[in-house]
Amino acid sequence: MDPQADSPVSFLPHLEAKIRQTHNLARLLTKYAEQLLEEYVQQQGDPFGLPGFSPPRLSLAGLSGPSPSHMGLPLSERLRQDAAALDALPGLLDAVRRRQAELNPSSPRLLRNLEDAARQARALGVAVETVLAALGSAARGPGPEPAATTALSTANNAAGIFSAKVLGLHVCGLYGEWVNRTEGDLSQLVPGDVA
Amino acid sequence: MPAGRPGPAAQSARRPPRPLSSLWSPLLLCVLGVPRGGSGAHTAVISPQDPTLLIGSSLQATCSIHGDTPGATAEGLYWTLNGRRLPSELSHLLNTSTLALALANLNGSRQQSGDNLVCHAQDGSILAGSCLYVGLPPEKPFNISCWSRNMKDLTCRWTPGTRGETFLHTNYSLKYKLRWYGQDNTCEEYHTVGPHSCHIPKDLALFTPYEIWVEATNRLGSARSDVLTLDVLDVVTTDPPPDVHVSRVGGLEDQLSVRWVSPPALKDFLFQAKYQIRYRVEDSVDWKVVDDVSNQTSCRLAGLKPGTVYFVQVRCNPFGIYGSKKAGIWSEWSHPTAASTPRSERPGPGGGVCEPRGGEPSSGPVRRELKQFLGWLKKHAYCSNLSFRLYDQWRAWMQKSHKTRNQDEGILPSGRRGTARGPAG
Repeated sequence: MDPQADSPVSFLPHLEAKIRQTHNLARLLTKYAEQLLEEYVQQQGDPFGLPGFSPPRLSLAGLSGPSPSHMGLPLSERLRQDAAALDALPGLLDAVRRRQAELNPSSPRLLRNLEDAARQARALGVAVETVLAALGSAARGPGPEPAATTALSTANNAAGIFSAKVLGLHVCGLYGEWVNRTEGDLSQLVPGDVA
Repeated sequence: MPAGRPGPAAQSARRPPRPLSSLWSPLLLCVLGVPRGGSGAHTAVISPQDPTLLIGSSLQATCSIHGDTPGATAEGLYWTLNGRRLPSELSHLLNTSTLALALANLNGSRQQSGDNLVCHAQDGSILAGSCLYVGLPPEKPFNISCWSRNMKDLTCRWTPGTRGETFLHTNYSLKYKLRWYGQDNTCEEYHTVGPHSCHIPKDLALFTPYEIWVEATNRLGSARSDVLTLDVLDVVTTDPPPDVHVSRVGGLEDQLSVRWVSPPALKDFLFQAKYQIRYRVEDSVDWKVVDDVSNQTSCRLAGLKPGTVYFVQVRCNPFGIYGSKKAGIWSEWSHPTAASTPRSERPGPGGGVCEPRGGEPSSGPVRRELKQFLGWLKKHAYCSNLSFRLYDQWRAWMQKSHKTRNQDEGILPSGRRGTARGPAG
């Protein structure tokens, strides 16, 4: 399944519609992810959100950001990785929301945004898996989500509040990176769009 | 953070990823399952972690480099608080691996999630962080007031304290119990009529007193209000009277008739009721109030200005419900209803009382009407020929004008409405 190898690709109308719909969803969620990040840093207080604020990049077991080699992979593999990441993110976002409910209980907008982000990631992940299935490429199984969520919960509970804030920032950042990456990968499938 | 600016994580997504740092990251080991205490952050640890302090107090903190970090030293480390670098004179080296900090006379926390105290390496990278919670214990809540809408629920509100902000998240919990028996209950629906309010929607007993109080808790302590004792029947309010109609009294230019319906929710219980009417001229903000409109559902306003649009509102007090001896609580005002008095060349006295039904007009209606017609003719007639046809056209226009004004629900030409309703009382 590589539109670059078989060009032009002829898609069934309903599959084409599904791809466009999923791509539009990813584009929309990219904007929402930016808003979530802005809301998050605002509620944590400075230096979160200040230009140049750069806490050490953390690596959660089972989930990291898109690797530099991601773009060199076949499209089907890229979408599989997108789907796997989107599958892991809801649990992580839920863990962040629970911690933020303790740290920022009077910030309903942030808590609502985190809850929405978890649902949106789940919806986009399912949509990407549907596209993959329709194209004859199976998505991976649930895989890393339980490990990543458990690891985050452990870290959240054991770490100090500053570290919990940094972890949440990292998760919100990962969410943005992956929906953005998914949008980019799907754009190569949208008929008429130039990769 | 300014809107529209990409956040740090988004920015970092566009940079080549950092190679895995050679510096040991306790947080990374934590998420991989290796237990780690203290700050759990980066390559150093701040002590104390996440302290809670009173406003005006002092803090002594340390940032200690991990011992197994090769070549690591506290030389060159510095502190920031909420992103601002702290003066170097506030910190000093305790030893080669520990930088100490002394802060005095602390201000209240800037955000509820805590002030961010961060220890930085010489190159600015973050080594460790700790969140400070600086504030005040809660004051005793006071001034609890409650009301029941149609005996179905109970809403209470209170004042948090005279001092104002505690700078810490303070949780308020409204508790209630039946005075002589029963367990403590906690109200669950908060912020219904403002930040310090709660609504109990159901399962309330009548004819027996409740004890109600508020508990305030934050990181620095707790406080409890005095107990308010009340019977739900003594604090009943109701809906504004529906179907308020204001109409002219024939051709009388100084009177308007106001009619309304008793609030239906209490129709089976409302043996007595008091009503109040208030009215104002269209372009005025001063209301005139007609009091003591007892147990009747109509009233005639007299002494009004002719040819003037008036806005009228009515409210109800269900006092004495089920034999309660308390005053009851006024409902909110009904939606404003407007009507105009007929125009006349003679200005009215401008006062207002509620006339009893059956009041007589002060002068002949036909003569008065003719005078108004002649005045209209001067303005609209293109010829001096009078005719019944012209007269009939005028009457039709008057009726249409009257109907249009009665349909107006209080929207002034400037777009203003009548006075907003708050909890009556």
